[in-house]
Amino acid sequence: MAIFRLHIPVLDEVKRKGLRAALNDKWVDVVTRVTAGLNPTDVRGVLRDDPPGRPNSRLTPHAEGFWLHMKPTYYHRMVDGFYPTFRLGWLSTFFGVFEILTGIYLMIYYTPSPLVAYENMLNLLSNVPFGQLMRDLHRLAAELMVIVVVLHMLRTFVTGSYKKPRQFTWATGVILLFVTLVLSFSGYLLPWDQLSLWAVTIGASMVEAIPPEIVGRNVNLLVRGAPEFGANGLLRFYLLHVVALPLAGILAFGVHYYKVIHHGHSLPPEGEKVGEDTAKRVPMDSRVYFMPEIVTRELWYVAGLLAVLFAAAAYLYNAPALEPHANPLITPLHTTAPWYFLWLQGMLKIGDKVIWGLVIPGVLTGLLLLLPYLEVGPSRRYGDRRIGLSLAALFVAAMAILSYMGTPHYAVSTSPDQEAVAELLPQTHPGPLRSAPWGDLAYGSYEAAAWSAAPNATLQDLLHRYEEVLTDVQSAGRADVAGVMVIEDWQTDLKKITLRVTWTNTADGSAGEFSQSVYLHRDGNYGQGA
Amino acid sequence: MKGQIALGLLALLTLIGVMVAVTLNEQNRMAEFTRAYEARAIETGASLFEDNCRPCHGPQGQGIEGVAPAINAADLFDGSRLAKIGYGGTLPDYVRGVIAAGRPVPSVGTNYPQRMPTWGAAYGGPLRDDQVDALAAFVLNWEDRALGGAGPQVPTGPSVGTDLTVSLPPGDAERGQSLSEGPLGCASCHILTAVGPKWAAEGGEPGIGERAESRFQAAGYTGTATSAEQYLFESIVLPNAHLIEGFQANLMPQNYAERLSAQDAADLIAYMLSLR
Repeated sequence: MAIFRLHIPVLDEVKRKGLRAALNDKWVDVVTRVTAGLNPTDVRGVLRDDPPGRPNSRLTPHAEGFWLHMKPTYYHRMVDGFYPTFRLGWLSTFFGVFEILTGIYLMIYYTPSPLVAYENMLNLLSNVPFGQLMRDLHRLAAELMVIVVVLHMLRTFVTGSYKKPRQFTWATGVILLFVTLVLSFSGYLLPWDQLSLWAVTIGASMVEAIPPEIVGRNVNLLVRGAPEFGANGLLRFYLLHVVALPLAGILAFGVHYYKVIHHGHSLPPEGEKVGEDTAKRVPMDSRVYFMPEIVTRELWYVAGLLAVLFAAAAYLYNAPALEPHANPLITPLHTTAPWYFLWLQGMLKIGDKVIWGLVIPGVLTGLLLLLPYLEVGPSRRYGDRRIGLSLAALFVAAMAILSYMGTPHYAVSTSPDQEAVAELLPQTHPGPLRSAPWGDLAYGSYEAAAWSAAPNATLQDLLHRYEEVLTDVQSAGRADVAGVMVIEDWQTDLKKITLRVTWTNTADGSAGEFSQSVYLHRDGNYGQGA
Repeated sequence: MKGQIALGLLALLTLIGVMVAVTLNEQNRMAEFTRAYEARAIETGASLFEDNCRPCHGPQGQGIEGVAPAINAADLFDGSRLAKIGYGGTLPDYVRGVIAAGRPVPSVGTNYPQRMPTWGAAYGGPLRDDQVDALAAFVLNWEDRALGGAGPQVPTGPSVGTDLTVSLPPGDAERGQSLSEGPLGCASCHILTAVGPKWAAEGGEPGIGERAESRFQAAGYTGTATSAEQYLFESIVLPNAHLIEGFQANLMPQNYAERLSAQDAADLIAYMLSLR
């Protein structure tokens, strides 16, 4: 008797049936196990759009397998078209998964410490193959995800799909919207450059306003880990971004999707009688089976989206270029919150921080969450919901206006001389001077007023823009406004460019001056956003 | 459905194509980013130098005699300075180390009584590591020009000496200003910072020109000047003759009598008298 016996069942099969038949059986067995119920012939049938067999083996993976156990085996033909879903829920899911995968790639090269985070970013961009591509993809998909999730909510409102029995589905959706926004926002801080620090500081400053003061101060300490952002704040935002929020999102998504399938995709409002919900009763002739039609479409969507996203990230879209290292002592001119929080920044400009920064956004969030429990009108038809739909349109318009008010174009009081210099030398992006061809910046001292005498078109253009913004300075109670641009040879391949604005205050006749210098290296390469 | 499968395959091929193109260019892209980053480090370094180093080392790193040595100088880049002080490491290490940790003890045989402060955060200074690196990149970028012979600019002509009664040629205030901001480095301590008495008018205090007119007649004056011009001349070439309250002896370099020509001194005085 041997100490142990090596037993390979397939060899027995080979002995019994011959090599070819045994391997074929094994292949069928493996495919059936992997697909949780489809043998190779079934798979081929799905891909060829053959009619299903009886019994329909294509239903088995939904019953047996994990991945499809929540996916319905068939959909109603009325919800299969582009309308009424616009595929927005599916897209949100796609982007969520995409963010997790690209995020893992980025996590590998990142340490959440102010000492090295910025250096990690430089390393990611300069020394990690596909580092920049992955960063661009992660950012691009994050922006798109915010858009898609918001549109998804809007669509659900417009088609009245939040109404009974789907109230709770809506509520979990609002939680997912919140998770998406905060996920995107918390990711802002991680590169630890000036944009990160100040965009997030603006957002986080709101919690400081929570009354009474002792609460606000302590909540602020909890969020930032210190009175100002530093090592603790960065670590907290990192953990929020990579652990807490994704976990919350995945849980909320599980509930949300379960509820969607449990109640069935809601039919278009005109597709059923008022007060009835017939989504789960799908007549035989209205059924669209997941296999083959929907799975094929979803696979093609995935391939198509990936191709578009990768091509866009490689050739069209760049995540915002790294700004200088985060510096709590220098607030860049024109810092804004991320665009999807501009409405909040706009509200803060209206008035009191507590009312406009906390009470009203809080009430709005509460109303959004409870909407289906408060608005219980039975009809989902557009014609019966004129008031609700009009209010929604007003709400969207208000958000757009508030977002505009959140931008630096609205009610930001900076001195016009700084604005004039910032026109050429902005503090939040490269701007025209840095991205001008280096060689065209000829040494010399140039007056903005005499822009047409500059030696080349680049300088003429820059000085002309300078001259144009200087007229704003002129109108602000200042006379004799003059702008000078001095370009000096500073070092090998390095130029020093000084923009100086001088004026006379009309009120008291005193002289004023503002100047700012920048050093530009031949290889600085601001033009390409690198 | 066939159309969708075809489209999906086409998309997959496009994706592969994009990835191949990206892959082929990836080395280039990384090199380009690195080059741009290094260039921007020099830009950052230039601005840090302006804010932190210029007061002692001069706007172009040419040094200020008696305050801080030239770093835009051939001997730093050709290795002779490192050899002289017995430093065995590389120049980038030396520059970075000195910026970060400062110079607690001046090198033997030099005339720099002030110690260089520490700048690196690790040594208690204000600058982060990446800022120290940027400064070092800026300093090292002087190599070409320093080795090309552009050493510290020293005013030419016979020196003016310390005799207060010497007759000076007519002064040119404009040239005096550029001397004070450029090669002589006066501006570092008297205009940009308050290491020495401020020249410009500030608060109720008039500028140096007006102060000079009454100072030599004031009680407690310990010098020998008999006019505003002489008082300024004395303050430049014999800084310890009369000390302003709050400032120590020997704070100002004692060698301007040898460094200035008569014309330089006249121009400087003309400029200072114009600051009222």
